Amino acid sequence: MAVVRRNILDDSTARQNYIQGVKLLKQEFLGPTTSDLGIAGSPRQVSTYDLIVAWHHLAMFTFTPPTQEDRNAAHRGPVFLPWHRFMLLLLELQLQRVLDDEDFGLPYWDWAADGERSPDQQAKSPVWGEQCMGGQGNPIATGPFAFNPADPNGWRVRVDANVNGRLRATDRGLRRAFAQSVPTLPNKDQVATALDLDTYDTPPWSTASSGFRNQVEGWIPANIAPGLHNRVHVWVGGDMLPSSSPNDPVFYLNHCNEDRIWAAWLQDNDPPYVPDQTAPDELLGHRIDDAMNALLSDAVTPRQMLDVDDFYNYDTLVVS
Amino acid sequence: MKRSEFAQASTPESLAEHVRRNAPALQQTQHPHGEALESVREATYRGHYIVVRTSYHIEVDGVPVEGHLGVTNDGQVHYHAVPNLSFASAIDLVKQLIDTFPEDFQPGPGGHEHGEET
Repeated sequence: MAVVRRNILDDSTARQNYIQGVKLLKQEFLGPTTSDLGIAGSPRQVSTYDLIVAWHHLAMFTFTPPTQEDRNAAHRGPVFLPWHRFMLLLLELQLQRVLDDEDFGLPYWDWAADGERSPDQQAKSPVWGEQCMGGQGNPIATGPFAFNPADPNGWRVRVDANVNGRLRATDRGLRRAFAQSVPTLPNKDQVATALDLDTYDTPPWSTASSGFRNQVEGWIPANIAPGLHNRVHVWVGGDMLPSSSPNDPVFYLNHCNEDRIWAAWLQDNDPPYVPDQTAPDELLGHRIDDAMNALLSDAVTPRQMLDVDDFYNYDTLVVS
Repeated sequence: MKRSEFAQASTPESLAEHVRRNAPALQQTQHPHGEALESVREATYRGHYIVVRTSYHIEVDGVPVEGHLGVTNDGQVHYHAVPNLSFASAIDLVKQLIDTFPEDFQPGPGGHEHGEET
């Protein structure tokens, strides 16, 4: 039976289970080591949570096609939304397993609702409260992911990316720095503008495209870029900026909301996804029946991600 | 897609096995570039095929920055290590790198800390 994904600020059970679940995945070691990930130095066990961090990095540094350095296997092209749906589904299944709760559904953060607050109130949203995601800092000092140097089992960043885009082993607290590069979160008008677009994606299938995907990803319109998805990453700052951004559990709350926005768009638009399989090979990895980048499971296709009613639905698709 | 089609993804054994199987692709991304950062832009105009190659050699305190850098056709510079941003100026991009990756940049000569303008 499909689970229900709910607003993290409206459902304390979903919130508590999510926090407990990601902590359990952070403490679960199934065998893979840093050597398996190509990280130099003495091998260390890598937790299930951190393997998913590495997967995001892998997809981001897999260029599609490899002859260019713009579009990659999860971003800056049509596959952005289905690839992240695939990622969230895999995380949700792992959380259900470690929580022993088949009814667990990922919560989402309706960041556009917080975007309606005044700029100085956005950092004071309940999502940053002690009982939810905690606040900002280097390292963050409040909430369930606060750094405690005396607690080796506390929330620690163990794998991140360096300035040259390579994974490395580390051992430090989580970082956030709100509103350093953009002053505000996206708002509801900006979500509504994206929903008004009736084409999923357009040539050149990149950050220059004019469709729904590119607007949700946040490369257009130029006057507000970074927008929507990108803007949330940039506004939160700290560990939400590099390719290892799933280190912050807020990553999944952000993407769950973008997935909800896509679900709302899918209700009213057809075709649900382009390009189809007649597109040239230079779009390999982005066509509807191409295998998407995978690390922790068999690959799935964008088409398989268009009907996920058997997995989950949302408490509401009112997104703007 | 049905849950049954994806059920294998939730088992620990399956997860560990897939990581082992797919790890070579991840290891491939760990290889250094060791060359200039070159971006290639292509376009067609009135039947003409345009190619613009842009090479960047970026150093901070004499240390090369070697990640993936690109320039889109509207002239915005992007760098994959900070994937949600693009920049009108490569200098602004490097300032962002210094702020985002503090472990990779020691305080500069003269004691300049991150975030200070020079």
